[in-house]
Amino acid sequence: MKRWRAASLAAAAALVLCGCGGTGGGGGSGDAKGELLVWVDNTRMPAAQQYEKAHPDVKMRIVTIPPDAGYVPTKISLANRTKSGWPDVAFLANPAEAATLASQKFGYAAPLDDLVPKSVRDGFTPGSLDTCTFGGKTYCLRNDIAPTVLWYDATLMKRYGYQVPKTWAEYRQTGLKAAEEHPGTIVGAVNGKYGAGIYFGSSGCPTRDTLSLTEVHIDLDGPDCTRVADLLQPLARKKAVTTVVPIDPGFAKFGKGDKILMLPAPAWFGDFMFGPAFKVPKGRIAAAPMPTWPGENKPFAGQVGGGAFLVSSHAGGRTEQAADLVRWMTTDVNLQAKQPTYPAFTAAAKKWGEAKSKDPYYASDPMPALTAAANALRPGFGAVRFEADWQSSFNDTVVKAVDSGGNLRNSLGSWQDKLEAAAKTSGYTVG
Amino acid sequence: MKTLTTPRPPAVAATRPVTSSDRRRSPRTAAVWILVGPYTVFLVLFGLAPAGYALWTSFVDNGSFSGGRDWAAVFHDYRLGDAAAHVSTYLLLWLPILLLTVLSLAFTLHARPGRTTSALQLVYYLPGAVTGSAAALLWLFMVSPDSSPFAPLLKLMDVKSATDALSGGSVIAVLTVMGVAVHAGGWIVVLYGALNALPKDVLEAAQVDGASAWRTMWHVKLPMVRTYVAFVLISSFASGSQVFVEPTVLSTGAPGQISPTWSVNQLAYTYATQDGDFGKAAALSLAMLAVGVLAAWIVITRTRMYATDSSDSR
Repeated sequence: MKRWRAASLAAAAALVLCGCGGTGGGGGSGDAKGELLVWVDNTRMPAAQQYEKAHPDVKMRIVTIPPDAGYVPTKISLANRTKSGWPDVAFLANPAEAATLASQKFGYAAPLDDLVPKSVRDGFTPGSLDTCTFGGKTYCLRNDIAPTVLWYDATLMKRYGYQVPKTWAEYRQTGLKAAEEHPGTIVGAVNGKYGAGIYFGSSGCPTRDTLSLTEVHIDLDGPDCTRVADLLQPLARKKAVTTVVPIDPGFAKFGKGDKILMLPAPAWFGDFMFGPAFKVPKGRIAAAPMPTWPGENKPFAGQVGGGAFLVSSHAGGRTEQAADLVRWMTTDVNLQAKQPTYPAFTAAAKKWGEAKSKDPYYASDPMPALTAAANALRPGFGAVRFEADWQSSFNDTVVKAVDSGGNLRNSLGSWQDKLEAAAKTSGYTVG
Repeated sequence: MKTLTTPRPPAVAATRPVTSSDRRRSPRTAAVWILVGPYTVFLVLFGLAPAGYALWTSFVDNGSFSGGRDWAAVFHDYRLGDAAAHVSTYLLLWLPILLLTVLSLAFTLHARPGRTTSALQLVYYLPGAVTGSAAALLWLFMVSPDSSPFAPLLKLMDVKSATDALSGGSVIAVLTVMGVAVHAGGWIVVLYGALNALPKDVLEAAQVDGASAWRTMWHVKLPMVRTYVAFVLISSFASGSQVFVEPTVLSTGAPGQISPTWSVNQLAYTYATQDGDFGKAAALSLAMLAVGVLAAWIVITRTRMYATDSSDSR
């Protein structure tokens, strides 16, 4: 009888255990054959192949990786465990992961200060490498950046007789007026990284101000944060801002129904969201600089997205090659000018913009606003290891308050608590 | 007495000649080993060995003993409480609904045998044929009012977008509906098979005695398929408490809506992959294993799952 009880326990254990499974490993080490192992996403594939073609002496193996959040840290974590299989170069579709990969625990990202000349690094858009910089060292090069601008529907603006707002006070006024006179019209979206990155990011609210790899400054009590809450509060009450995520297919109904009057959003929304996703016809969308915050005359931009390249600290003899590839991928003007999103390298961005200026989709040339936004990235928006929690905690607190008509100022307190907890769990001291 | 071999008075066995006993036992022993052997190998290789390695990992960090540091860190993690609450709520909703659905549909099928029964079996099974990430993607469309065939129903529930359906507490409801649809079909087939294998004479006797269909189900069929129901419970508890794929894939559809550490298993995964902390991941996985084993043990002893026909006092 005892025997069977033991057997039943074992059987139960087996049943429970059978739930666990593993995914097959990809990549593998380039070490053995001395080949340069490069991980890029689908979009960056042709560029990597072009480099390979131009450098027949460099033995390369290019592996396509999905742009999913957390993919690269997952694979590097496994490589760290087996002590092999690190890629020499990795592309990050989520540059916040640089904070994870440069951390002492991962020890993957190599500092590039000695590998990439300062003159090259200085060619990047000011502030764009902040994401890659921890404690004075630069661990990655940005491929593209996603500064926010105020996208608006020029046709609707004209039809309604509104002016494009220059300050956030005007923005709020216009939003409330639009909600009153044309019910259902929205002037913004507050959800996840969009809400937090666009509004709180541009205001300079320290939700993720990385001081080093182990220190982060979070302080939601200050006026830089409360003014965002005060801005959004009446707009939320009148439903002039929506909590539907822009990438939700349901967002298209705003575009199809001529309900998007304004949308402060990253640069890539122009090409990838308004037309393809929201179905706004061509000749209507235009870009203006972000509205300015009280007491400031520069329209600071938030950030949502962009990519970055890392070089492995395990590359050994291939480190120089790896750094050269990364430098070329991010700074080659002809290559970057053809990239789908706003290049981080200033000279490339200029050339990239030449084509954009002539794009017939836009009601007017969006480049002046985009260039201004790129040059006005709000400092203090760092790469953090708790990026996912940063988003979900924002949704749990501020967005919930927007949805339920709660007090936004009060919700900042709970967001602060959740951010601090997330930061501490990720090994940061909060200052 | 619960044993597979026929009870035999020990005194008689002792007086028997040794050779005769050997001849009788050895083929039986061999058969047992042949049947149990492969299972044992798999259990050791893919069950016990990984669990042992996890135990080692949770206590030894870089070759030095880390004490219970990883365990303490896991149980002090603020995310664990949330994740455990999510999973328990999910189990409380999903397990009873799943069990009721499976039982009622299987018994209905069995009570009214006919041509439609086999067709219905297939219908019930179909949603289960799409599992894991494919199912989650499918359900992402199901809960998006713009593409869902259930759009009017969603509208009725004030769900205006996928963001609505997947934010806050409603994600548990989505997961429950999803879990029932995906898992019920397979279990209905299993249970229907078990019902078909029931001895006809017992059921006929019940009929002759004038038992109604309801009484037959409740007092005759259900006790006889008890062990199958227990099996459904254990397996479902194991898969339910380890829910991982569904929230993970649903969250890719509406990023930021569902926390990446929504379920306990996701938290363990996050430890290993995003925090690079395999010690904590191992500790949490073992804690999950303990919960699963405990639940299985309770179900097994409560339902006398391993009781056999000879010892069952029916």
